[in-house]
Amino acid sequence: MKLRILLADDHEIVRRGLCSLLQKHEGWEVCGEASDGREAVEMAKQLKPDVVIVDIGMPFLNGLDTTRQLLQHDPHFKVIVLTITDSDQVIREALDAGARGFVLKSDAARDLVSAVEALQSKRMFFTPRVNDLVLAGFLDKGHAMSRNEPPNLPTLTVREREVTQLLAEGKSSKEVATLLNLSTKTVETHRSNIMRKLSLHSIRDLVVYAIKNNIIQIQMPPQLRTETPVVPQ
Amino acid sequence: MNGSATATSTRTSREPQNMPVRILLVDDHPIVRQGLRTLLEGRSGWEVVGEASDGVEALEKVDVLRPDVVVLDVTMPRMNGLEACRLIQQKPKTSGLEVLFVTQHDSPQMMREALDAGARGYVVKSNAARDLLEAVEAVSQHRVFTALARSPQASC
Repeated sequence: MKLRILLADDHEIVRRGLCSLLQKHEGWEVCGEASDGREAVEMAKQLKPDVVIVDIGMPFLNGLDTTRQLLQHDPHFKVIVLTITDSDQVIREALDAGARGFVLKSDAARDLVSAVEALQSKRMFFTPRVNDLVLAGFLDKGHAMSRNEPPNLPTLTVREREVTQLLAEGKSSKEVATLLNLSTKTVETHRSNIMRKLSLHSIRDLVVYAIKNNIIQIQMPPQLRTETPVVPQ
Repeated sequence: MNGSATATSTRTSREPQNMPVRILLVDDHPIVRQGLRTLLEGRSGWEVVGEASDGVEALEKVDVLRPDVVVLDVTMPRMNGLEACRLIQQKPKTSGLEVLFVTQHDSPQMMREALDAGARGYVVKSNAARDLLEAVEAVSQHRVFTALARSPQASC
């Protein structure tokens, strides 16, 4: 019986690349593709894949919260997180969310097959940097992982995290309500609770919080050029 | 240009249909290059002649491989795509070569910057699967093709 894999990435071109890579492996099949986290959760509930590969930076529901929701629904899901960065904070959040694999997107062509093989063999797969961090935490009796952590923040519920992401993406309360099948009033209550819990005072503050806490990701453009460089011959 | 995809003819030196097109892919993520390759190689007559992972490597491969179209990312290590595009335009042996940006930057400002750098086309990565083939066809015929993410549909 083939190992069934669900892919979740908002870029179809990336999914094509991942599909092409994974389908070279005899015995594996990509059983579904999702273009955002919410779709991934719904598809996983229906398709019951053996492995779910989720990009961290996805619209509507990011990969970390997708992982949390998947494992809340069924703790047996095996999730590999694809990420553009292996910063300490992202590593901590991915481990905390319950990911069993952690692969840098830039290294996916090299590492993803190994990661799926590891999960297939009931092992975990992490980048060397994650391994170093986990080992450092073990050697330091668990304290190393908590160094340089941001100050303890009030915990948001799963629903509040969803609402936070959607508001930070620029959606209105009405749009959030439609997406989450809630009333606008309920969304506004969530919004008030979020702002109160986090001591935030504006949507701008909320966006900054969402970026700092990897709820949404932004890409900075390259610095614009000001002078003509020499042409290499 | 936001809200619509456009392709306009500015020069004609290639026959529009079934012309072989030699393509160089430049992106720092191999998995993205793989996705682009999968899409492009489905088109009869088109050939991905090489790949590069940053602007510096792209410049070297342009010299060696002489592609017709360079599909170029913006944000890359060592040398970004805008810089590479400007330098490609200044090379003496690149007459007829066209640059098509495929990037995550979904902004009119970045698109303008890319066109000012000499690119003939601009496609947003989130819509690359929708727009790429048409964009390569357009720029390979020296027509401008631009499409931001909110474009309802790519069309010439």
